[in-house]
Amino acid sequence: MRRAWRQVDAPLGTPRHHDAWLFHLAPPLLLVASVVALAMVPWAPGFRGIELSTGVILFAGALAFVTPAVFMAGWGGGRPLVVLGGFRFVALMLAYAMPLAMALTAVAAPAESLQPAAIVDVQHAVPTALVQPLAFALWVPSAMAVALMAPFDLANASEELDGGAFGQYGGIHAGMVALARRILVLALAGMTAALFLSGWHGPLLAPAIWMALKTLAVAATMLWVGRRFPRVELDRLLSVAWKFAIPAAIGAIAWSGLVTLLFYA
Amino acid sequence: MSGLGTALVFWPGAVIMLATAVYVFRTSSMARAGLLLLASLGVEGLLFLALASEFLGVLQLLMMSGEMVVMTFFMVMFMPDPGGLMGMDMIHDKRRSASLAVAVTVALAVFAVLTDWPAETLNGEAPDVRQIGFEVMGRSMFSFLFAGITILFAMVGGTMLAKHGGRFAVEAEGDAR
Repeated sequence: MRRAWRQVDAPLGTPRHHDAWLFHLAPPLLLVASVVALAMVPWAPGFRGIELSTGVILFAGALAFVTPAVFMAGWGGGRPLVVLGGFRFVALMLAYAMPLAMALTAVAAPAESLQPAAIVDVQHAVPTALVQPLAFALWVPSAMAVALMAPFDLANASEELDGGAFGQYGGIHAGMVALARRILVLALAGMTAALFLSGWHGPLLAPAIWMALKTLAVAATMLWVGRRFPRVELDRLLSVAWKFAIPAAIGAIAWSGLVTLLFYA
Repeated sequence: MSGLGTALVFWPGAVIMLATAVYVFRTSSMARAGLLLLASLGVEGLLFLALASEFLGVLQLLMMSGEMVVMTFFMVMFMPDPGGLMGMDMIHDKRRSASLAVAVTVALAVFAVLTDWPAETLNGEAPDVRQIGFEVMGRSMFSFLFAGITILFAMVGGTMLAKHGGRFAVEAEGDAR
């Protein structure tokens, strides 16, 4: 608590040559985007932030605003390594937004609904991760890339870019960025548990406890992967995304249509 | 949302939308112009949500964010003065472009005000809604796909031509392979 307050109270670091508007607006935009994403996660029957029949699309829409926020932070910072961090993230997201959105389309098809709670309910017998392993395999790395998690943390790579896109922030700005990144991890882990691992369904324990356990397991796995594996080179990552992940995502949608017609419809 | 709630979101939102749209052409920084356009179109998505057309609203937020970031990225890459520090102007051929913009705005406003819009709301099961769905996913799909792939080709081609050495891939010093 005291450390958090010191963070809030610390002076704002303001770079000398920068685009002030973009620089100051980026952290709040990142925070709003992450909070909206979190509000879409269905934690337990009837317990979620905002109930929308198109919740999955708004979740993807909220994540889509992470990219301009990081770009603004990078451009606004106005120093070579910082700008480079912002550009890296845009390049990364151009490549990984498609597999992410297509994986969402694939999991929504069996439920015939874009409502997260409906997608959880259609998995009461078998989790989607088992029915659509390809969509799951594409979703997890793309989700980690959106959340700026290692080994995909190219935009803010602390060792290479000295903090990258967020390198110029101090005080409450840095606090907002740190908070937003943690919320993003929570939202993406929760959504992974809900959309692919049958959310709150499970024997014996209460629904909310199942959901919490699955979310924690997903988050722990993602963080462990980040600690275990080295950061991937940007051009290699982009090459894999454009040449393999996007065509594979189209395959995942076709597979989803097939299983929907055979087993769900 | 109640009528008052809608009005409280709609009118300030509309003002912000128009103001950010005007500032797109007042700034000389490519990054600012692109992101202001994103702000304008994002607020438009919020207006759709306020007017209870949920699907259009969330789709607008999702698509516009992606598209405007791509556009900003390409503008910054291709413009010789992306930061606007050398006093670039967003408007060319001022008199003609301004008169065209005013004419189009007036025509659209007249069309919007004079059209006799239907007052009833349809639910998802209505035959009209199904017809729109079949039209979009059927016959019209070809034109959508054609447009999409054309834009993709233009982006890839533009990047290739802008590279050092152009389409003949003559390597210059410091090029990435």
